[in-house]
Amino acid sequence: MSLAFIRPFSSSVIAQKVGCAMVKPVHHTIKIEKRLLSPRFPDLKLDPSDIRSPKFRPRLTQQDRVLDHYYNTLESDLLLIQYRHDQIDVEGNKRRKWDMSSPYHLNRPLRKPRGQIVPSPTIKTRTWKNIPRLENITINCFVKEAKIKPELAIAATLQLQQITGCKPSPVYAKANVPTWKLRPGMRMGARVSLSGSDASQFLTTLTEIVLPRIREFRGISNRSGDRYGNIAFGLRPEDIKVFPEIENNQDSWPKTFGMDITLHTSAQTDADARILLSGLGFPFTGGERVPKTLLNDLKIEDENVNDVVTKNSETRAEA
Amino acid sequence: MLQKAILETRRGLAAAVAGGVRLVPLENIRASLILSRTPIVTPDMSEFDKKFYKYQEELERRLMWTFPKWFYFKKGTVAEREFTKAQKYPIPSHPGVWFPKGLPDIKHGRDRRFRQDIILPKKAPEEESGEMENETRAIKLNSRITEADKKNDQASLERKLARTLYLLVKQDGQWKFPTFPVENEDVPLNEVAENGLRRVGGNKINTWNVSRTPAGILKYSNGKLLDCEQSESPSVKDSSIVRDYLIKSHILAGKFVPQDKQGVEEYKWLVKEELEPLLGKAYFSQVEFLLSKV
Repeated sequence: MSLAFIRPFSSSVIAQKVGCAMVKPVHHTIKIEKRLLSPRFPDLKLDPSDIRSPKFRPRLTQQDRVLDHYYNTLESDLLLIQYRHDQIDVEGNKRRKWDMSSPYHLNRPLRKPRGQIVPSPTIKTRTWKNIPRLENITINCFVKEAKIKPELAIAATLQLQQITGCKPSPVYAKANVPTWKLRPGMRMGARVSLSGSDASQFLTTLTEIVLPRIREFRGISNRSGDRYGNIAFGLRPEDIKVFPEIENNQDSWPKTFGMDITLHTSAQTDADARILLSGLGFPFTGGERVPKTLLNDLKIEDENVNDVVTKNSETRAEA
Repeated sequence: MLQKAILETRRGLAAAVAGGVRLVPLENIRASLILSRTPIVTPDMSEFDKKFYKYQEELERRLMWTFPKWFYFKKGTVAEREFTKAQKYPIPSHPGVWFPKGLPDIKHGRDRRFRQDIILPKKAPEEESGEMENETRAIKLNSRITEADKKNDQASLERKLARTLYLLVKQDGQWKFPTFPVENEDVPLNEVAENGLRRVGGNKINTWNVSRTPAGILKYSNGKLLDCEQSESPSVKDSSIVRDYLIKSHILAGKFVPQDKQGVEEYKWLVKEELEPLLGKAYFSQVEFLLSKV
């Protein structure tokens, strides 16, 4: 008599014999969402984009002026500006293989890239599929004085909400610096990430109302950027007073807080991101600096290899 | 900068000089300028779009936060009293009263089932100078349809504010994008096009050249436009073909004023659909992909 046992994932006891399970223990890797299995809260099983879901929020509520400008004018211009004939991919600084001089190199995780810890991405050639666009805007407001007056962190949160119309999330201190009386877990400010029409709205306010009215503002520095297409700049507490939401209600704002604004784009390099952002109305100052690694991105013809390479690097450096 | 321009031009001339031997004579290379005026107002919406946005906006207004009166108006002030007086408050639920639309769900003076309408208190009318400062005054929108639209003045830059306009000129009895011959090997194509535009259209025009890279190419053999397949085929002798390189540019300010004796008989600012009858099917089909639908 043979009994067909369905073998459980976790043990081999029922099979009544020694051995290891042949069934792959997928229950460790596949996450089971219990709320989907339970019959208790049917509303929670709905997708947030479903109108019946309590999380539902309409996204497209009005014409988006920034997006219209991007699709109708900017996108095709960007492709033409950034397109280069005979462009090739520039390989990033990747993890290196071990030289196998020791038996312990077998199956060992790859070596760190030369000169850095995190590998850098490969810069792909420009095509119509990877034209940079603005993805989202992050505003971070860290108030130093909040360690002494905790209510200032709440005021900063309120200020962000007032300016953006979105609910910010609190920012807590991470470091422990006894001389500054800073301890981990202290509420120090707020942060909000804007996308879609909220981002467009905030961007229009910035470029059309706020930045032109700041006297000392000469443009975003060309030294700004994280190398991979995200540009950041800061506004001082007195600049915040120019926002119409604050300006028309000055009595409620005896104190304003400066903030850091990061413009996240899908550009692969900072130079590309700056071209996009200047098309969206942000001015930039200072000379453009292209990293050396990006200079040789053109296909080299066989006859005059050196000639093309030197010319190429010269022209990129000048531009 | 100059070096780059020269290099780009040399690349752009499609291997014009290879190993010191010129394949394409200079007189067979021309620069065309696609000069566009970008939209000034938001694009026109279709009926469906309007209804969709209206529906979504109503949904958003129902889900919106209640107006925080306590934040904007201090308790006991005159401003608070005036604001409170101006609002229309919903009728609270009352035992024994039947509400045909269901029981009201009121928090902070708002029925949470519906959108909240904020009414700003009207200020007393002051003297005329204060008119502009009155924030409750109705906003008057300018018309999206201009005088030029009514008259169908195709030479005006103020027509069709929501669309992209392209400059078309009549050169040698033919409607086309303004085209200029390359005379000097050291002047890049984009400068040939820009200088040419100023020669035929006057100096009172401010343009922004999008890129030195040409956006497209048109090939002519014996004055006849070749279609895409013909221009790729090797049967046509390379050096006899005339090439038009299309350079893209935007007009920022000023206007195009045709100059005397410069070969431009007429000019028009047109949207994409209006270009086809003037340009002809063969020409239009080769530049269509470069033109904006909006």
